[in-house]
Amino acid sequence: MKRIELQDVSVRFGDLQALDKVTTQLQSGEILMLVGPNGAGKSTLLKVLLGLIEADACTLKVDGQPARVDKKFKSHLGYLPESVAFSESLSGKQVMRFFARARGVAVSEVDAVLKRVGLAHAAKRAIRGYSRGMRQRLGLGIAILGDPDLLVLDEPTGGLDQEGLSVLWDVLENSRKRGRMVILSSHDLTLLEKRVDRICLLAEGRVLADDTPDVLRRQAALPVRVSFDFAGAMADDTSPFTHALSLAGLAADLTPRVGGLGVNVPPDQLLKLLDVRGQFNGAVQGVRVQEPGLDAVYDHLLATGGAGSPAATAEVN
Amino acid sequence: MGAVARALVGHELLERARDRWVLVVSLLFGLLASGTSLYAASAGGAADALTGPSLVTLVSLLVPLVGGVLGHDAIVGERERNTLGLLLSLPVARAEVVFAKFTGRVLALAIAIGIGLGAAALVGGAGQFAMLSGLFVPTLLLGAAFVSLGILISTITSRQVTAASLIVAIWFLFVFFYDLGLLGLLIATDGAVAQEAIAQLVYANPAGLFRVEMMAAFAGPEVLEGLGMTVGLPAKWVSMSIWAAWIVVPVGLSALLLTYSRRLR
Repeated sequence: MKRIELQDVSVRFGDLQALDKVTTQLQSGEILMLVGPNGAGKSTLLKVLLGLIEADACTLKVDGQPARVDKKFKSHLGYLPESVAFSESLSGKQVMRFFARARGVAVSEVDAVLKRVGLAHAAKRAIRGYSRGMRQRLGLGIAILGDPDLLVLDEPTGGLDQEGLSVLWDVLENSRKRGRMVILSSHDLTLLEKRVDRICLLAEGRVLADDTPDVLRRQAALPVRVSFDFAGAMADDTSPFTHALSLAGLAADLTPRVGGLGVNVPPDQLLKLLDVRGQFNGAVQGVRVQEPGLDAVYDHLLATGGAGSPAATAEVN
Repeated sequence: MGAVARALVGHELLERARDRWVLVVSLLFGLLASGTSLYAASAGGAADALTGPSLVTLVSLLVPLVGGVLGHDAIVGERERNTLGLLLSLPVARAEVVFAKFTGRVLALAIAIGIGLGAAALVGGAGQFAMLSGLFVPTLLLGAAFVSLGILISTITSRQVTAASLIVAIWFLFVFFYDLGLLGLLIATDGAVAQEAIAQLVYANPAGLFRVEMMAAFAGPEVLEGLGMTVGLPAKWVSMSIWAAWIVVPVGLSALLLTYSRRLR
């Protein structure tokens, strides 16, 4: 499998429209992250893809051809459910050996996968003695058994400590390098924003935005924070710089601090701001530009229904 | 049965073997069966006449509970651990998952029964071996019927504790209250309900059918009269049909329910 398309997926639970004509796609080497508030439809969409929930309407295409979630399709996927727990009386190795046999993966691969997810030392220990993070890593190991074409990860960061997160980053990076597809749902935007290729923002069962993090940032057009550090007399008195900013119409959102100044400007005003800075070359010792975090972009897109600012949207388009 | 289902049967068996509850119950059954056998052996020539009926009583009380408990968490347990979706995301039909779970659990039960009756045979000596081995298959049928019921309960409940409570209630119903209910029916209707109908109702209960068939096998058909049964044993094919129905229908219904469940949340 090299490409998967989900088109017009609709699911209704009684009075609740869990998914409303959701369309997204995934291609080889891509990591797609589903984000959205609780009840947005993230897990429902994953379960439709896994065949656990039958959609009221859905078109699934694999490599451009209409497909069904049947045994053949499922033989290409690995799944990590949210907050997974396994039979407490068995060891991690016993559980993984079962999934290896079930997937037709050589049992000899189990030790390598256990090592890869950092559970080699606890492989023979009963799962009742595992921490939440270790159970999550075991689930991750089961998901990657046999190097499936499609990885479906539901809240993969849940319960993971730094070591577990490193394992997850390695799994994501390796999947990308090997041309596998990953679709995951998470609330951890800050943790994952640099690890994913595309973000699909869902709210109330609808897609509000579906693009790369950079495009979503531009679409939101949130102010960029620029911090200036001054030297010499300007470090004690920033008024000449503030005055120049006022003349350029950039002084609306300033945060003075000792030896410097913070300026929040819309992204399209950034060049204008750097022009002002050019007038004070000798006095400006350092400049730091900080883009808005993806969590702020997420809040903004949710609040505006995914529209972003009209100007920015036009620019993106 | 496909590769996934075969792997699942083995996994179920392993899981049961590592389950402390199953180990404790197997041990208890072995001890009680051995105790019964030892006591009967001390009676000398009447050993068979004592061991058989005593074991029938023990089995008809204990095995339905063990079977029910073995089956009660098959589906709901996976659901609570969030592994049902993981299991069903494997290339396997949902019905195969149900039947594989049933098979694995019945195999575990067979081993437990084998250990119990084997221990009794060891204690009772070679003389009791034939009688004890004759008890194995009917005991397994009784247990399998309750495993099947347990799996059905497991499929229709959303919490394991609910499934456990229901299976204990069903055990009480079939093992204790059913016969009392029939007795009450006889008294309440002042004999208006025919003896044949009452007998058929006894045979419709797997625990009752097991008790009556085994008592008749060990102590002769005349024992039925002593039990107040004026009607003979059902024909072999009727008996086998009743067992087949109790074993196949609940687990089959579970498979259907899971297969046609559109929303596994």
